[in-house]
Amino acid sequence: MSDNVIDVEGLTKLYDGTTAVDNISFSVREGEIFSMVGPNGAGKTTTVEILECIRTPTSGNAEVLGHDVMKDEDRIKEKIGVMPQNFNTFERLSAEENIRLMADLYGSKNVEEVMKMVGVTDFKDKKFSELSGGMQTKVGIGMTLISNADLLFLDEPTTGLDPHARRETWKLIKRLKRTGKTVFLTTHYMEEVEELSDRAAVLIDGRIEVIDSIENLIRDYGGGIKVVVRKDEKAVELVKEKSDEVFKNESGELVGIFDNKKRARKALVTLFQMDCDVEVKEAGMEDAFIRLTGGKLDEEGELV
Amino acid sequence: MKKSISLFISLTKNWLRSKSGVFFSILFPVMLLIIFSAVFGGGETAEYTIHIENEDFEENGIPTELSEAFIKALDDTGTLNVNEVDNLTEHREEEEGFGSYRGLRIKEGFQERAENKSMSIRVGVMHETMLLMENESDMEEEEREEFERGKESLEEWSQFLGKEHLFDLNRSEYADYLNEGEIHEEMRSAFEEKNFSISDDAEMKYEENGSWTIEDEEKKFIIQEDEEENKLHIFREKESAKIVVYTSPGDQGGQVVQGTVRGVVDSFDSRMIGVEDTTIEVGEETTEDEELQPADYYLPGILTAFIMTNGIIAVTTTTTEYKRNGVLKRLSAAPIQKKDWILANVGQQTLLAFILTGVMILLSRILFDVQAVPGIYSLGLIFLGAVAFCSVGMVLGGFIKDVEAASGIGNAIAFPMMFLSGAFVPIEQFPGYLRTVARALPLYYFHQGLQELMILENLSGAIIPYIVLGSLTVVFLIAAIKVTDWKDM
Repeated sequence: MSDNVIDVEGLTKLYDGTTAVDNISFSVREGEIFSMVGPNGAGKTTTVEILECIRTPTSGNAEVLGHDVMKDEDRIKEKIGVMPQNFNTFERLSAEENIRLMADLYGSKNVEEVMKMVGVTDFKDKKFSELSGGMQTKVGIGMTLISNADLLFLDEPTTGLDPHARRETWKLIKRLKRTGKTVFLTTHYMEEVEELSDRAAVLIDGRIEVIDSIENLIRDYGGGIKVVVRKDEKAVELVKEKSDEVFKNESGELVGIFDNKKRARKALVTLFQMDCDVEVKEAGMEDAFIRLTGGKLDEEGELV
Repeated sequence: MKKSISLFISLTKNWLRSKSGVFFSILFPVMLLIIFSAVFGGGETAEYTIHIENEDFEENGIPTELSEAFIKALDDTGTLNVNEVDNLTEHREEEEGFGSYRGLRIKEGFQERAENKSMSIRVGVMHETMLLMENESDMEEEEREEFERGKESLEEWSQFLGKEHLFDLNRSEYADYLNEGEIHEEMRSAFEEKNFSISDDAEMKYEENGSWTIEDEEKKFIIQEDEEENKLHIFREKESAKIVVYTSPGDQGGQVVQGTVRGVVDSFDSRMIGVEDTTIEVGEETTEDEELQPADYYLPGILTAFIMTNGIIAVTTTTTEYKRNGVLKRLSAAPIQKKDWILANVGQQTLLAFILTGVMILLSRILFDVQAVPGIYSLGLIFLGAVAFCSVGMVLGGFIKDVEAASGIGNAIAFPMMFLSGAFVPIEQFPGYLRTVARALPLYYFHQGLQELMILENLSGAIIPYIVLGSLTVVFLIAAIKVTDWKDM
């Protein structure tokens, strides 16, 4: 039996002639955190909503937990947890009342346990509208977990949160993975993808540009190790000679990229022996994304 | 069903915690009921002051008996508060202000003309009665001769009382000018020589009784040919007693004053011609016998109007808002059906309608001692109304994307319907085409049905409203199920 909890084949969604999702195929494995990254309008939310059975695909096939999204909506909805993009709920109900409503809809009884797990207990009696963005996200994740589902869809859960709230949410998502949940995450924060995900798919204009583990994406597209040289003639000469690629960054400093780690380590040993002023940076998802798309995503998720 | 109940409880809690929601759904209609009942149901009959100038005096300077009696009759109506003034024109100038001025002038000759006219009418009636008897009575020859003499005397007397002799003209000289249509110049000159003017628009007519008349808007001259004396006898028809009522344009109270004065005049007319008894008795029973108060009458109107606005405005707005802010999307991703959501909304609106009914009846009972109590049938109708208008709100909410547009469209539908359906103003006061519009509105049947059931306790009168509203409820509910998006929002 397949380990995949989601299997998508040739999925396409058209809106009034505009292609939002263009013939994409991918799978999500049980127990992993799978991220779908891309700028606004890339088709992330449309894909997620098709898998959540709240949007109808134009063509293609998608199976969630072995059920066809077109035929077994009710079965799928019972088995998944959903936190939609720009999550909102009844604003004059308390945090606890909102979670209890979802518990009633899913026939679940573990409200106290979930509130404790997501850290809602301290403010459970406060109205949803009176909560901070981070607290609202915790309520949203609580309402997602109340289903006791093993597959959770979190559509941009940290958008608009301050750095502290974002890190708190990450902790929570990591804890979910530890409890064996599969998480389908959409985001436009590369740091989030790198911090949380096992694998990621980069979606541009409705098409999957690449799909792989985070390590492979960084290795293949991140550009290896970056060495930044600060006004040291000897070091500049050495980096130019030994690196695979050199360029000047926004501060006018020379940046050398080493695709091969061994060569990079060798060059760095020499540079340190020469007591040169250099800075070493490992490539990340952001670099990989820039290499793949030719741009990076701003705070609002726009490609710049 | 359990899921619908959970949603219903959440929707209700969310609504109850909205101060503006509770105010506009419950407190505002209660305020309106209190204001309407207090303003229009003070328990005292409205009294209108009327200023009267009496020009009708005896020779010794004392007001005539009839004019005094007329003023007293006006004062005794209870509707009019009579204030006698010396000069109405001057008084009006002194009184000029923001209020409406209502005045009445009793013209000179009021008593004399009224008496003459009444005598003429009485004799005329006797003469007409004799004419009726003429063909039917089986009389001896002697009796018939007596009868004929009496009839002729009455006819002469009747004609004499109804007109006043002015002068005579030579028949040979003026008979040629007795022609229907325009007045001949020679005839006009003859009248002017005797100081009686004939207006340009006056026309001459030949009457069935053999006389000629010259009539304009103000007066009527009668010309009788006398072959024996070779004369034309010129008479003037005696004028009626005159009063003039003055009211300000657009003064609604003025209509009441005019109506009251007309009623007193009719009563005087009857008495003057000798009608002491009435053939039709008007029973002046009011529903106060049944202990119903004005608030009872406003209750169904305000209740139905606000059940309608709660459905059409509030449901449309919240549906659009939940769609915009993602609440509906979150719910649709949960294992619940569209029907659960619709059922929860319908339940919430029904509960709200029953709360509104209870609060309004309780408060109006405490404040105005209302007796109307909803029975099982009126509660059934309230349920139908709540479901129907909630469904309309869900249909509109299904179409409209923008919250501001939802509020605007909801108001644009609800407010005209509120006033056009007769909930606040009886549709009998509407022009004909608006009455047709009113009968095409669902609120009309909701209001009519509830009025029949709650106030008149007339179940048969509520059958048609029940059928119409019930059918519309089914139609609107089906439309709401069809239009509500549960996927691809």
